Amino acid sequence: MPPVLAFRAVSREYRAAGGAILRALREATGEVPAGRVVAVTGRSGSGKSTLLHLAAGIDEPTSGEVLLLGRSLRALVDGERTRLRRDHVGLVFQFFHLVPHLSVLENVLVPALVAGDPARAAEERARALLAKVGLGDRAQEPAQKLSGGEMQRVALCRALLRRPSLLLADEPTGNLDEETGRAVMDLILALAREEGSAVLYVTHSRELADAADAVWTMHSGVLEAGAAR
Amino acid sequence: MRRYLAAAVAKELRAGKALLLLAVAGVALGVGSVLSIQLLNQGALGAFAGTVRAVSGDADLTVLGWAGALDERLLDDVLAVPGVRAAIPLWRAEAALDGAPGQGLELVGADLLAAIRSPWPLPEGALEDALARPGWVAVTPALAAEKGWREGSRVDVSLGSRRATLVVGALVDFQKVAPLASRRLAVLDLAQAQGLFGARGRIHQIDVLATPGVAAAELSGRIAARLGERARVTTPEQRTVEAAGLLAAFRLNLTALSLVSLLVGGFLVHASVRASLARRREELGVLRVVGATRGQVLALVLGEAALLGAAGTALGIPLGWLAARANLSAVSGTVRTLYLLEGIERVTLGPRLLLLAVAVGVGGAVAGALAPAVDASRRDPRALLSSLTLEERARAGAGRALALGAAAVLAGLAFQAAAGARWAPSGFVLALGVLAAVPLAAPAGLAALGRVPRPRRLGVRFGIRTLASRPSGASVAAGALAVAVAMLAGVTIMVASFRASVERWLGATLRADVYVTTPSWRRARSDATLAPEVVARLRGFPGAVALDVLRQVQASSRGRRVSVSGVDAALPGGERRVELVSGDARAAMRALREGAALVSEPLARKDGLAPGGRLEVRGPRGDAALPIAGVYRDYGTEAGAALVDLGTFARLFGEGPPSNAALYLAAGRDAEAAVARLRAELAGHALQIRSNRALRGEVLAIFEQTFAVTRLVQAMGLVIAAAGVTLSLLVLARERRAELALYRAIGATRLRLAALFLGRGLAMGLAGLALGAAGGFALAAVLVLVVNPAFFGWSLGVSVPWARLAGQALAILAVAALASLYPALAASRTPAAELSRDAL
Repeated sequence: MPPVLAFRAVSREYRAAGGAILRALREATGEVPAGRVVAVTGRSGSGKSTLLHLAAGIDEPTSGEVLLLGRSLRALVDGERTRLRRDHVGLVFQFFHLVPHLSVLENVLVPALVAGDPARAAEERARALLAKVGLGDRAQEPAQKLSGGEMQRVALCRALLRRPSLLLADEPTGNLDEETGRAVMDLILALAREEGSAVLYVTHSRELADAADAVWTMHSGVLEAGAAR
Repeated sequence: MRRYLAAAVAKELRAGKALLLLAVAGVALGVGSVLSIQLLNQGALGAFAGTVRAVSGDADLTVLGWAGALDERLLDDVLAVPGVRAAIPLWRAEAALDGAPGQGLELVGADLLAAIRSPWPLPEGALEDALARPGWVAVTPALAAEKGWREGSRVDVSLGSRRATLVVGALVDFQKVAPLASRRLAVLDLAQAQGLFGARGRIHQIDVLATPGVAAAELSGRIAARLGERARVTTPEQRTVEAAGLLAAFRLNLTALSLVSLLVGGFLVHASVRASLARRREELGVLRVVGATRGQVLALVLGEAALLGAAGTALGIPLGWLAARANLSAVSGTVRTLYLLEGIERVTLGPRLLLLAVAVGVGGAVAGALAPAVDASRRDPRALLSSLTLEERARAGAGRALALGAAAVLAGLAFQAAAGARWAPSGFVLALGVLAAVPLAAPAGLAALGRVPRPRRLGVRFGIRTLASRPSGASVAAGALAVAVAMLAGVTIMVASFRASVERWLGATLRADVYVTTPSWRRARSDATLAPEVVARLRGFPGAVALDVLRQVQASSRGRRVSVSGVDAALPGGERRVELVSGDARAAMRALREGAALVSEPLARKDGLAPGGRLEVRGPRGDAALPIAGVYRDYGTEAGAALVDLGTFARLFGEGPPSNAALYLAAGRDAEAAVARLRAELAGHALQIRSNRALRGEVLAIFEQTFAVTRLVQAMGLVIAAAGVTLSLLVLARERRAELALYRAIGATRLRLAALFLGRGLAMGLAGLALGAAGGFALAAVLVLVVNPAFFGWSLGVSVPWARLAGQALAILAVAALASLYPALAASRTPAAELSRDAL
């Protein structure tokens, strides 16, 4: 069975304002097998977010290959990459990125709207996910009225709505206090395992990284893929 | 702070070029719309005053007839008045140019031997020629160039059914004396003019120069005392004021329309400033944190708006000039044919209008920016640094705005109830109340749209629903569109109602089969008469069962210029020629035969006349008070008209030939064949012979010409509103960049985002359309039922052109969709990587 996500000597360079080349990622190589959980740690600016953007296909490598479900993203045009992401990837962000003028339920339903899924089945699924994260009774409330932890739980439901093969989370607890962050991380991992989704998440916390099956460490754009535990 | 303003403007230019350009375009269109109308209004009055000046020069006073021409023997009476240095008799009439339908020569017959120099000195040696050569005429170089005339060219003209040939004897630039004077002025010897056009012993005015040291007012009194009721004495200024009075309703109507465009342009500035503030709230917050006062923040925002207004004004001035030039011919035609004043030939942009343009453009921009600027300056720094407060307040304000709109309508109704009977323009106040309510209802309208069923896809319906959930910027654009739509629908219904009323009126009153008049009649009126042999031929025409003749004169009633017509009240079935507002037409005709008068609806309303009352008419034979037998519908002139029997007409204004004739044919006779035969038989006379059908067509063509400029102003309003939709969506695309990036990250294709924005454009279009339609119907009701009766004097039946309105609705939705295309394209280009760490 091919890995859900694979990096093959992936580099990403940016041209800075003065013309200097910034090397955000240097020949990164690693795999996320199906159903497995991988944590990425490293200092600020070490290339963690770049790695996630490349994994999601919202950024393109300068060289090397990113394979999602065995398909090289480089070989796909923007529309194909978008559809692959829509159908197989869930995203959770540090700052939640809920749409403030939509209700909690509507926020969770956004991926179904994007994909044009049948409304009734999508809503049943969204309500079930909200119930699992303890927000079943707040489905109709405006998203902007929720606390940070609640917002992240809604964002998690949104990411899992379409049963993605891969869940990408960029410092999902970075904007939460320690206790709430731990609870949210537990929820992410529990739900992802329950749904059978592989997870690649970025974290600064050694403790939260320990919950993963494997830990990748980033130093100045260099990825060190640790052995699976 | 001034340095900061310069830096801020430069930054805004870089950051939001499209937004700024749209707002500048909005101001430019608003300024252009107002300026074009003012240029035309001023041109109409300027043409009249310019021609007065070119003809009368420095005359202190002018003696005019109460109704048409004067007896030239009055000249001796005027010259006998102490203090009169000189009295110059003038014969004036507009002759029709053969082979140029609708065009004429404004002939001035002057005593070229008069000792006092005329304002238009003839070239040396021309005087002898002018007196000796038959048909000698001096024309302007401009007209000569247009027509390809040179000295010696023969020019065929007609006045009434009489034809004459003039010879271009000299080119004299009358426009040197008064630049706005008509280029169609043509001067010939007085005696020649009277002889050529059968007007021996008749003149139209006597220009008077006072002896140095004699005050014009005093001299005016002396002349008036000498002449008694035979003529009136006036100054050139008074004549211009009278002309302004005649055009007042027409000018105010156009001005009101153009102001609506300005209002819509103001909305655009408002939207632009809101967008700018939404984008820069953090910057303003930081400014406040580091010590900028509220006043400085206010000055910064208003200063930017003023610069935006100045840029719009700079573009709007040439635009207004071009729009005025493009509509010159249509407005000039209306002024000439409906108000019998000089046509507009050119527009001039003087310092007063330039100042008005600047005041309108910069003032409008600052006014549009005022509310958001004050709002931003009043916020504490924390609120400026928060993204949510703006929207929360906007939502809370929807109900309040709706209530304010209802209050505006109620206030307009209350004002109309209180002042409507005494102050004719009060209907415009009510119309303004309706137009103010329309944009104020926009937030509530968008909120209502937000209740569409939950969408199944991220597309058009999702765009509509989510737009309604954050209505602040969108409601301004929808409001601006709604105002333009209200104006479009309201004026469309009004024009259709007017047209239907005119068609019904024509159907009811135009009963004859063939109508005969002369090419010069429309302008020369009582001077344009039918030769006796023409009338005799018409009476003896085979198959004719009756001939109806009409005489008409511009008379005076209580200081108002009234068109008095004489008809044969004894004509069998003649009662069908008039449509009475109330009462029995047969009885009214009987009363006419006994010396009574019928008054037109506009005259009755404006002078408070009613059956049983009396119509005071001043003619060359003194005053008369005719019993009023009824009030008839008339859409021909808002100034007022009256109808009397030919016998009464002769008693009041003297005997004379008719100007028009209408032929009733025996049943089964072909009117078009009769027209063709009459044209052939009477080819030697200058005549316009038309069938009933052709005359109706011509009247309706004049009607359409009258509203041509209205359509231009409507179109400008709509263009501004479409720009508003684009601007608002661009603002949304910018404000919601993070949201769009999120959708892209989740897997939305570019096409989906474009559809989302098309939905938002459609939502604005739908909201603008729905509110505009409601406002348009209300506005139409005010224009048809209140403004027209009170201001112009005629009552109209309501007629709704459903098919045309439906077409307009589709066009507006298409315009909204088109206006959304660019923002949709811009939004669809949002990359998922844009998803920054800012909150959505």
